[in-house]
Amino acid sequence: MKKTVLTVIGVLCAAMLFANGQFEKAMAKSIPAMYSASDRETLIGAVNQLTRIGDAEANRWEPYYYAAFGYIRLMTMSESNEDKDKYLDQALAAIEKGETIKPNDSELESMRGYVHMMRLTVDPATRGMQYSGLAFGSFQKAISLNPKNGRAHFLLGRMQFGSAQFMGGGDGGACESFAKAKAIFESEEKDERSIAPSWGLNGTLEAIKEMCKG
Amino acid sequence: MKALFLSLLTLISLQSAGQITIGGFIREKSGEPLLGVNVFIEGTYDGATTDINGEFSITTEVSDSVVLVASFIGFHDYKVLLDNERNNIQLNIQLKEKINKLNAVVITAGSFDASDESKQVVLNSLDIVTTAGSSADIPGALNTLPGTQTVGETGRLFVRGGEGRETKTFIDGMIVHNEYSPSAPNTPGRSRFSPFMFKGMSFSTGGYSAEYGQALSSALILKSKDLAELTRTDLSLMSVGADVSHTSVWKNSSFAGKIQYTNLTPYFALVNQNINWDKAPTDYNGNFAYRLKTSKTGFLKIYSNMSTSEMDLYERDIANPETLLPTQVTNDYLYFNTSFREVLSDKWGIHVGTSFTESNDFASQAGQSREEDISGRHGKLVLDYIHSDQITLKFGGEVLLRRGDEQLINDLGQSLDSEFDETIAAGFVESESYLSSSLAFKAGVRAETNSLVGNTSINPRLSAAYKVGEKSQVSLAYGTFRQAPSNNTIYRLNDADQELARHYIANYQWLGDGRSFRVEIYRKDYSNLTRFSDQYDPSTFSFDGDGFAEGLDLFWRDSRTFNNTDYWVSYSYLNSERNYRDYPGAFRPPFVSTHNFSVVGKRFVQSIKSQLGLTYSFASQRRYNDLNEEEFLGGKTPNFHDLSFNISYLYSNQIIVHAMVNNVLGFDNIFGYEYTDRPDDAGVYARRAIKQPAKRFLFLGVFFTLAKNKSISQLPNL
Repeated sequence: MKKTVLTVIGVLCAAMLFANGQFEKAMAKSIPAMYSASDRETLIGAVNQLTRIGDAEANRWEPYYYAAFGYIRLMTMSESNEDKDKYLDQALAAIEKGETIKPNDSELESMRGYVHMMRLTVDPATRGMQYSGLAFGSFQKAISLNPKNGRAHFLLGRMQFGSAQFMGGGDGGACESFAKAKAIFESEEKDERSIAPSWGLNGTLEAIKEMCKG
Repeated sequence: MKALFLSLLTLISLQSAGQITIGGFIREKSGEPLLGVNVFIEGTYDGATTDINGEFSITTEVSDSVVLVASFIGFHDYKVLLDNERNNIQLNIQLKEKINKLNAVVITAGSFDASDESKQVVLNSLDIVTTAGSSADIPGALNTLPGTQTVGETGRLFVRGGEGRETKTFIDGMIVHNEYSPSAPNTPGRSRFSPFMFKGMSFSTGGYSAEYGQALSSALILKSKDLAELTRTDLSLMSVGADVSHTSVWKNSSFAGKIQYTNLTPYFALVNQNINWDKAPTDYNGNFAYRLKTSKTGFLKIYSNMSTSEMDLYERDIANPETLLPTQVTNDYLYFNTSFREVLSDKWGIHVGTSFTESNDFASQAGQSREEDISGRHGKLVLDYIHSDQITLKFGGEVLLRRGDEQLINDLGQSLDSEFDETIAAGFVESESYLSSSLAFKAGVRAETNSLVGNTSINPRLSAAYKVGEKSQVSLAYGTFRQAPSNNTIYRLNDADQELARHYIANYQWLGDGRSFRVEIYRKDYSNLTRFSDQYDPSTFSFDGDGFAEGLDLFWRDSRTFNNTDYWVSYSYLNSERNYRDYPGAFRPPFVSTHNFSVVGKRFVQSIKSQLGLTYSFASQRRYNDLNEEEFLGGKTPNFHDLSFNISYLYSNQIIVHAMVNNVLGFDNIFGYEYTDRPDDAGVYARRAIKQPAKRFLFLGVFFTLAKNKSISQLPNL
């Protein structure tokens, strides 16, 4: 009997490994598909695939994280404010699904801040106060949850720069944030197979080049 | 061993199952194909997304029966169990649209919504504060919307031929008494409530929900802000005073307090006034708001506003302008409001509220005086029931207690004391149903009983909306509305009848990206209005007065055509007559002007970091009763004009300078005339024009923000 139990456990483990391999494989295909989609239709397909993976897996937050990213990309491809808001609502819903699996996660929190930041850009004059507060709040929370999250520093920098520019000049501390982000990204080891979020270095370097001359 | 074999068998069978293909077509009810639908086998990664023709094709290796799901934003999920007997399945699926706030038709008849949350709005609350001429006063800004009449000597909201008192203010569903701060005779008062406190407001010019009563013409429904987001301190220095406010934010709660001191003495010393001030208006005002998130879905709000104000002036006697009559106006005010909301289950929600008002007004002139104490208590319970996304039901009850105490003293020292003690109990039920996302109905009824009158009234409220195009819709509304007559009437005769108004409204609205247009026509019939031949003698009272108002309101707003510029244009046509008070028949009341027109423009100029605003208002002539003429209400004032300007300059993230000038061109507007009680020896009644207290009003303020996070500014707070 004992032996039987052990074998069952063994088989279950094997099945899980098998399943996990399948997850990694699917993610390895879906993440680049989401990044590289250049039109709405393809991008919706990629986001849907990520959502399917997320719904099928009970304890992986990553598919929802990337789905949220995809919805933000869809928002930037949209024309009407109504569509933009619709995609941002979807992004937020995906983040919240991810959070039921992994509460208080620095990556999901920075993605939430990203959504607030994009929400602001839809109508800065009207939404400025509410969403700049929310975005700053999320980035700061993300940094306090994990000070080594380069993406949180990078996004915070973009927010700082944007609001400083709106107010008439200066960088609002953005270059300091970008420098922190750059240092973190460059100290990280690149693992091509990992599905953990790893984007941000290129954006940071570009931001430094554009916004932090001299 | 057997178990191992079985497990292995399962594994093998998982891998060796044959491929099957499921294909099909997905459309919405109208037959239109849906692009982007996520179609998948439940519990697996296998799936596809529909293309532009609504078609999909899934290849899956899972055998046996599977559940296929089709999921799409704004639609209900579709699920079907498939027995994979064949290896090629074709499906034709129709998705059912969810009725949600984003795409559904909204009943807009009679109502202007200003909100930061809802996306289908004509105005948002920021628009209120940046409107030139509004002086950051809510009624001031709403007076640039159609349906309102300029009545410059009061500053109140006169809606569609209704008196100022026919518009009632509600904060988080709870009634507010004496919502205007006191002012000198025939000068405008301001709302006591700062627009910054609210995240949304709904200004209804008629046909509003059965939840609200005791307002004949209009309801101004204000929703206060939720949890504050940031700990911050703000300091303002203004030409009329100073204020300091502080907000503290904790994990699930926040507290905000503001203390304001207003003193117009320095301003009046600099800018010449038509009023001879002894002591310019001074006011101490405190505002406190506490917010507590009691659970994931529960929310408690506590709000309080208190103030004390005083002013002393000399008014000239109408017949002998050299005679100065010492005049004093004081007010003490306390308002307290609590509101608690909780979601009880996925179907039920509850809202409980209370409000408490204590107000003392005192006014005296040359030995005569009037003092009035008003206390109000309001308790309310509302339950929401969501039957489905198509049908929701709201019902509840409320009790409104109001006690008034008035003391009049004449110049001989004789005093007249009057009082009333009114209890209103009301119950309402209202259902909202969507036959589709293009067609909505709202049907409600409000039963109300007033202890002073004794009878119970039943007031139906009906409205409907139909989406005629992607951006356009028509709405209709009908309802009956009741309100106790003016306090002056109730003091004389406690059981004075409730007044009644019937509203009929038809509305067309078009909302595009950055542009909107609406037109509304209405008719309002008044009955049970108070008539008298002597307003101090209740034996002459009767309650058979009547009247009507009918008109057309137009509104156009455009924030798109000109870069960084937003403007709106309002026009109202109004025809109204009443036979009430001591009128000898049906006449146009003095507060009615046939044509009201306003243009509001705002522009952000990046190069000077400033927002500029300009407002022009026009109102056609009003009537007044010229005692030296035969004809009743035969006098006509000139047309009213006003051009106001404001500028907000962002000096830095933390400092904003705000300046405004009302009536830049100095139009000498006349609102009407006051006459002496008795004619002189030649049989002529002397008179005096009712005018603005000064040609222009100037305001200068510097606003400082201190926040932990330096990037936060008051920017949109202009």
